[in-house]
Amino acid sequence: MRRGLKKKKRRTALVPVASMGDIAFLLIIFFLLLSDYNKEKSPPMTLPVSNKVEKLDDQIAARVNIDRDGVIYLDGVRVHDGKDIQAGVEALLERTISDDQRHVQFKCDASQPKDVYEPVLQAIAEAGGIIEAVGEDE
Amino acid sequence: MKLKNSGAKKHRSGEIPTGSFSDIAFLLIIYFIVATTLVKVKSITADMPSGEATQSSARDDTPAINLVGDEIRFKDKRVTLDVLNERLAALNLRDKEGDKKVILLEATRNTPYDVYFKALAAISSNGGIVAIVEEEE
Repeated sequence: MRRGLKKKKRRTALVPVASMGDIAFLLIIFFLLLSDYNKEKSPPMTLPVSNKVEKLDDQIAARVNIDRDGVIYLDGVRVHDGKDIQAGVEALLERTISDDQRHVQFKCDASQPKDVYEPVLQAIAEAGGIIEAVGEDE
Repeated sequence: MKLKNSGAKKHRSGEIPTGSFSDIAFLLIIYFIVATTLVKVKSITADMPSGEATQSSARDDTPAINLVGDEIRFKDKRVTLDVLNERLAALNLRDKEGDKKVILLEATRNTPYDVYFKALAAISSNGGIVAIVEEEE
């Protein structure tokens, strides 16, 4: 009688991959819905600091930046002054229906003087934009 | 001699090859991961009325914040940012309506945006509406 010589059963280790495609497509749908394309490269700047800033959840209609050299950008495109901003923002907000669609993100270097930022802020307000002034939390 | 096509027709299955679907899908995922901005910026919402400014829009008793360089003045008295917040909170701007929510904001030319931003944040966080005061030329 042969004892202790049991033959070990070999089990094949197959990973179930049939549903991988489904998972992948679900992930794609998730990223498609959550994506917010980076419309502009942020120019170099130091943002102002405050303990009152809150996470911005609203949809942004336009982005206005003023870098540390005082150069003004509208959606990544360099513009000359507040008048250009007003015309550009007005054009972007032309087809908006509700207030929720009129949020304009405003980023400005903390060291800029009044002559640079105030005409731009006024231009956004004149164009009917709701200003979302970006800053950093303290 | 054998005739061409004389035999039974070759039966081809009409299945779509889906073996590479998951590869395509994962490539798309990688693309979306790279292209997505998940970081949300932090901001304050500054409520500024649009339209041409008029002198009549500001009442005589409208509270005014003056920014002189790095200095903050509220109702012509020098205050710190904390005191400014307390004073604005005491005005109960949220419960008020129309013109009574308005706070005048005036800055000198040498006022940096950092100070202006803090004043804007103080006004908006207390439910006020910002009215920019322009210098007369």
